[in-house]
This record gives sequence, structure tokens and C-alpha cells, in this order.
Amino acid sequence: MKKTGLVYDDRYLMHVTGGYHPESPERLKAIHKRLSESGLIEKLIPIEAEKANQRWIETVHNIHYIMQFEEACISGFPEFEHPDNAICRDTYAIAFLAVGGVLKAIDAVMNGDVDNAFCAVRPPGHHAEVDKPMGFCYFNNVAIGARYLQEQYGIERVGIIDFDVHHGNGTQHIFDKDPSVFYYSIHEHPSFAYPGTGREFEVGVADGNGYTVNSPVLPGKGDDEYRKMIMQDLVPAFKKFDPEFILLSAGFDAHIDDLMSGTNLTTDGYDFVSEVIMNLVNRCSKGRVVSVLEGGYNLDVLPLLVENHIKIMAGMR
Amino acid sequence: MFVSERMSTDLITVEPDITIFEAKSLMTDKNIRHLPVVDSQGKLIGIVTDRDMRDAMPSTLLKKVDYEITLGKIMNYPISDIMTKDPMTIYAYFTLQDTLLVMQQKKVGALPVIDDQGYLKGILSTRDLLSAFVNVMNIDEPGSLLCIIAKAQTGEMKKIVDIITEENISLGSMLVARFWDKEKRAIFPYLLTNNVISVKRKLLDKGFELIDPMKWYLDQVPQKSD
Repeated sequence: MKKTGLVYDDRYLMHVTGGYHPESPERLKAIHKRLSESGLIEKLIPIEAEKANQRWIETVHNIHYIMQFEEACISGFPEFEHPDNAICRDTYAIAFLAVGGVLKAIDAVMNGDVDNAFCAVRPPGHHAEVDKPMGFCYFNNVAIGARYLQEQYGIERVGIIDFDVHHGNGTQHIFDKDPSVFYYSIHEHPSFAYPGTGREFEVGVADGNGYTVNSPVLPGKGDDEYRKMIMQDLVPAFKKFDPEFILLSAGFDAHIDDLMSGTNLTTDGYDFVSEVIMNLVNRCSKGRVVSVLEGGYNLDVLPLLVENHIKIMAGMR
Repeated sequence: MFVSERMSTDLITVEPDITIFEAKSLMTDKNIRHLPVVDSQGKLIGIVTDRDMRDAMPSTLLKKVDYEITLGKIMNYPISDIMTKDPMTIYAYFTLQDTLLVMQQKKVGALPVIDDQGYLKGILSTRDLLSAFVNVMNIDEPGSLLCIIAKAQTGEMKKIVDIITEENISLGSMLVARFWDKEKRAIFPYLLTNNVISVKRKLLDKGFELIDPMKWYLDQVPQKSD
């Protein structure tokens, strides 16, 4: 069994998105409740979140964008640039706390306090562009984590695996010219699902050509397709790239019961995804992985999927 | 949706006495596939495509020496020898739909745009047309596609639009297609949002059927003659 850390903080519930928004505090409440009731939480090492230093956020986001975001929250606007991006007065501070949670998890892994960690944070991040909020995301938690690994710890090659059902346009665009960060995403086909990027022919730009790989899954497809694409697209690419650290954009919205998507990944299918990833992590990055929550909106299945994912990370299954 | 708004007006043209060599270099340098030929007044008299250019080249099966001798001769011919004279043209006031049909029926890749006097005003290529339709469908903006089966009767579309409006979702585009069941239509609203859960729920509550888009096959819809 591994030492697995958990980032969770009640303050993540303070990012309030209004009554009907799917990216609600209830998501984290449900996850926390399940982890507590099943007793798993006691086997995990708590990692205390703290607000990120803005310096790290600026490694990815434009300073003017950061200021606009702050202003939108302070002014009490209900949304930031698009109705999808619901905000409240606390959102700005909580978004700093989400980034900070990821950075603390990275510290804990790099210092050897834990072997790996799961970050139950919100708001999510993978849609956030350098200067644009998108799809419930404001700061790109995982992208900032990758830059932090490089600048703070001198990690040269970071691998990002994004298995949220939506393509992580923000993460892809931030690193598409950068051969030191490999971005792999498996998601519902962009002709059907938000945000409409992540097509097979998007493979990186200039020096980054070949360091982005996308596996679009057609709606109606599930476990078999995920299995096939992951084995064919992800595994050989990561073995070749040989990342020193792996970050996960962990979205649980590809599940068959999640109405947000048209893909039909089952609970077992999710286990398979986590298992293949952990095999890769053990092989390439000396077991170093930080998994960061992105989407997952069906409150009846999300907590179970997160629990299973953490158990597989911890080597308990 | 008019040609005038989508045609390229930043034109590269040549006169008919220019050599094939010069025209070929120009097309390569400027990365263009269609080169309009105009007279000294600027009136359109022909067009040369990259296909015309390839057809004019000597066979690559020739021996190297023979190839180069033949090539040398060909390269000095005037472009007027290989251009398509009096090509098919369109006017700037044509709609993009007109052009789409012309291109489909006449199998051409680009159409010169002229005015009433025959002066060249622009050129519209399949590429321009494609970007116009990407724009119309709004698929360069982030969004999600729904696939709804509705009864082919008045008011169904309104119900769908009302639900989308209630959810404060902006609509990128909406395609309506025939469905294999004659009593029904397939409707594809492209919603500029990530947030599709409650709109899907409301549609289901109102009795609409959401289908797996993979189950919608174009070859199963009734033919026009039906």
C-alpha cells in the first residue's frame, strides 16, 4: 500500500454557483461524505491547502486576466464572461485555494511525505485559457502545477493525462508549443461535446508537435473504446516520452449515468483507466502522480468513482 | 450570405502572355491553386488551376534528360495556351448557397467573381465557402451538440427553443434534418455552453427523444423522391 495524500478543504464549498449549476459545492460535499463514511479518509494523509502565491498563477495566466477575474468577483457579478462561469464574491479567493491545494500536493510528493495525492478541489481548471475563463474553470490548476514542477523542482518532463469527458482546451493550448509537457486527453468527440476542440489532428504546434495526443470517443461508446484508445494512444506515447512526474485532470463525467455527456464509461471502465494510469506512473515517473478533480456531475456516482480512483492510487485494489 | 462578403479581393492575377514558368513560380510562392488571367484592362479572360499546371508538365516517366529538355520548352509557352478560356464566373451579389450549388454541380474548386462589365472583382474558393459555413454553424465556438427527435408538426421547434431560452443558453446554430420515420424530424441545436444537464432533462420531461447521434444515419433517411 502507498502513502496517498488527500487535499480537501471546507472552504472549497464557498465557491457558490447558484441553485441549478451542475458544478456545485454539493459535488465535493458528496465526495467528502463518502470518503468519511467508508473510512477511506482515515487511511489517507491529509494535505492542508493554502492560497497559492500569485506568482505561480502568473506562470500560466495573464496578469490582466487575473485582475479582471478579481474585479468580477469583488463587484458581485453573477458570472464571469459567460453564463457557464458562475461566480460569487468568494470565487476569486477559492480559485487561489484550489491552485494552492494542487501545489501543496506536489510539494508533499516531491518532499516524500506522500507517494501520490488526490486533490478534491474546485473550481475545476482544464478549460481555463491563458486569458479566458471557460466551462466552469477560472485558473488552470493542472497547468499551473506543471509549470510549478518545472520551475520549483527542476522537473524537465511533465506528463498530463486528462480523462475528463470534455477536452482540456486550456491545458492543450497552454502547452501546445512546449515539448517539455506532454498533454494526453481522452474525451467525447468534439463534434458533439463541449468545447469543440481535441480532434485527432490536434497534435501540438511548432516545437511541441508530437507532444499533444487526443483520443476523441464517439457518443454511445464506452469501456471497449476507452480501453482501445488508451492502450493504443496513451501508453506507447508516455512510455516514449518518459515523464518524470504525472498530473491527472480527473473528470468523472464520462460515466454512463452522467447526463453531461454521451459516452458510456462504466464504473469498471473507470477502474481500468485508473489502473492503466497507475501502471504508467509506476513505470515512468517513479510513482509520482498528483490527481486533480475536474468534472463529474452525477452525485449518485461521483463519490464512488472518486473513492475507487483513490483506492487504486493507494494500491488498495 | 453573399459572395461579396466572403470572396478574396486581395487578388493575384497575370496577363495571358506571361510564361508558364512565371505563372508556376507565382502560384508556388503565393500558395494559390487558382490564378485568374486578365487582359490589360483588368477584364477576366481565363483561369489557370494547379491541375492545369500539372497536366501541362512532361511525364515524370521520361528519362531525366528528356524530361528537362521537354520541361524547358514547355516552361516558355505563354499561359494563354493552358488556361481555361471564358471560365465559369459568378457575381458578387450571388448568395453563398448559389455558389455552393454551382460548385457541387459543375465540380469546380474556385469561381472568379466579375462585375457586369466583366472586370474581375474577386475569387471565391471552396476554402472561403468552408469557412463561411464553419461560421454559420458556429462550430469554431465552444459548445455542445444535442440530437433531438421531434414530431414533424408545428410548434415542436418552438418548444425546444423555449427550453433553451429558459436555461439562458445561447444558441450557436440549429440544423433540422429528415429522419427515417416520416412523422419525425431530427433536430440538432448547437448550444454555446458546457452546461447541458438541465436542458436535456427538460427536453426529456417534455417528451422529446434524445438520440445517440451515432444512430442517426444519413443513408437511412427517406430519399427526396419518397
